[in-house]
Amino acid sequence: MRVGRSLPYVFLGPALLVLVILAAVPTLYAVNLSLQNRTLSAPQAEYVWLANYLKLFSDDRFLNALWVSLKWEVLTVSATMAVGIGLAIAMFEAATRRWRMILSVLFIIPVLLPRVCAAFVWKFSFHPLYGAVTWPVRALTGQTPDVLAHPWGAMLTVAFVDVWQWGLFFAVIILKLMEALPPQPIEAARIDKAKGWEIHRFVTLPMLKLPLISLLLVKAIESLRSFDLVYVMTRGGPGVSTETLDMYAYSQGFIEAGNISYASSMAVIMMVLTVILFTSIWKRLNK
Amino acid sequence: MATVECRNLCKSYGSHEVIRNFNLSISDHEFIVFLGPSGCGKSTILRMVAGLEEITGGDLFIGGARVNDRDPGDRGIAMVFQNYALYPHMSVRENITFALERAGTSRDEIRRRLDPVVETLGLDIYLGRKPTELSGGQQQRVAIARAMIKTPEVFLFDEPLSNLDAKLRGHLRVEIARLHRALNTTSVYVTHDQLEAMTLADRIVLMNQGRIEQMGTPEEIYSRPATVFTAGFIGTPSMNFFSLDAGEGRLRNADIDLAAPFPLRAGKVTLGIRPGAIRLVPEGTPDAIAATVERDEFHGDMRLISLNAGAESFMVSVPAATRLSEGERVLAHLDPASLHVFDAESGQRLGD
Repeated sequence: MRVGRSLPYVFLGPALLVLVILAAVPTLYAVNLSLQNRTLSAPQAEYVWLANYLKLFSDDRFLNALWVSLKWEVLTVSATMAVGIGLAIAMFEAATRRWRMILSVLFIIPVLLPRVCAAFVWKFSFHPLYGAVTWPVRALTGQTPDVLAHPWGAMLTVAFVDVWQWGLFFAVIILKLMEALPPQPIEAARIDKAKGWEIHRFVTLPMLKLPLISLLLVKAIESLRSFDLVYVMTRGGPGVSTETLDMYAYSQGFIEAGNISYASSMAVIMMVLTVILFTSIWKRLNK
Repeated sequence: MATVECRNLCKSYGSHEVIRNFNLSISDHEFIVFLGPSGCGKSTILRMVAGLEEITGGDLFIGGARVNDRDPGDRGIAMVFQNYALYPHMSVRENITFALERAGTSRDEIRRRLDPVVETLGLDIYLGRKPTELSGGQQQRVAIARAMIKTPEVFLFDEPLSNLDAKLRGHLRVEIARLHRALNTTSVYVTHDQLEAMTLADRIVLMNQGRIEQMGTPEEIYSRPATVFTAGFIGTPSMNFFSLDAGEGRLRNADIDLAAPFPLRAGKVTLGIRPGAIRLVPEGTPDAIAATVERDEFHGDMRLISLNAGAESFMVSVPAATRLSEGERVLAHLDPASLHVFDAESGQRLGD
């Protein structure tokens, strides 16, 4: 009896220990740091308790970063899901088995690229003078369009690269999920007069509800970690129009002021918001 | 309600031909059962009628109209699948009304049509449940309700009872027969279970390797099998076969010598007789076969005895009270009126 009861701890123990060291220590350190007035330039610091947090809520740039992060989440998550589902249905309906294989391999390649590489490749493609994407505009109008210099243009372009990586990958996953569904309910739906898209709207997608929710949450968490992409492509610019929370925290902590405590308080807020939001979304959707 | 007609239907997958020149005409109100071993093409034909499988060649008519190129939803059919094929995320009510909603039927109309269907199949208390919360038999009832509410021209059943246990199968079989009597809709039913075929069918279409082996009422098929295949497939326990030489009014081989039931040309024949048409007779009866008892199976209402006569072995069913011991010598007499004679080469029935 005793052995049976302790077995789960034996298995979980090492993993939990690693997790505590890797996750809990930095977290607690960050919380501790956020309560001080530590900067990179001075070795000594003292506890200012919640002063950093209070300051944050009167910081326009922080509020802007919150808003940008929210826009970024909604934009990339919904676009990724839409592209993934749309492409998966298109492949499911129109592609032969052979073509599905070929397309699946092609669609997985973007996500295999490290984010920094993808960011550089696309940044160069959108370059006003040398970019391949901007070439037709240059050739036709003689102008040199710089999409990354426009607030919404920058946001949409960075989001495009994100969706290019993840939307195509999700299309492959969703296609495989659809192929794994039992064919009979789909056949029954065809006999029940459901046409083309109705079959997916009423039968296949609802049957995939749980895996789709999981994908959505995976993407939502993934979208929060878009730092590398934004950093390479825009560094938060133009101005602060693509400055997400992590981007702003980074520039506060390391680039501009070296306000490491101030940056830590941002990180803590981000963590708390994430945990609360995702737990509630997960609970709601899984009902 | 409608007729169904298949004219030279063909089906091939790539270069592999599974159905070739299938011809069948089903009249209005008829209950047709496709019976055959697995892989004989019976389900493929049903799925071609449903429109789930493309027709490679030939014409299919439902209610007089050619429907080869019509979508499954526009053929006036409803189908019940072997594994129920319910929509797992919808409640029982939504499952049943899905087709009407897709067809744009009004809410009042749907409610009006739902009640009698639900009542007939006894599903009232399950309407709010999900299919996974139901037993197999209840799920198949929901599937039947889903087919019924559409008031189709033709009902298609694809082995609807195969996933159920024996008792439920018997139950639902009777229910399907009752429904057919009440609705009188043209029905095509695929099964490999001969009991279902015999009890439900107006006409059985016995299939083998993509062809129709024999077509007829259950009684015709049972009492006058046209080929050795039919004779061996229909009937439990199955028919005994002997390879014999015909000549001089006798049928004989090394161990058996019988009077031919009707004049036969000299040559090799296959003689078939059902276990129930063989009697054990006392010593001295003419035309009897001497045999030894090999096995004795008790079946409740009767015993099935395996007999050996030289190289031949065959089964006899005798009253359950009969006591025989293994190795015992007996005399078996074959009822001349119940002999089925087939050409040994073609397998076709000889005589009447």
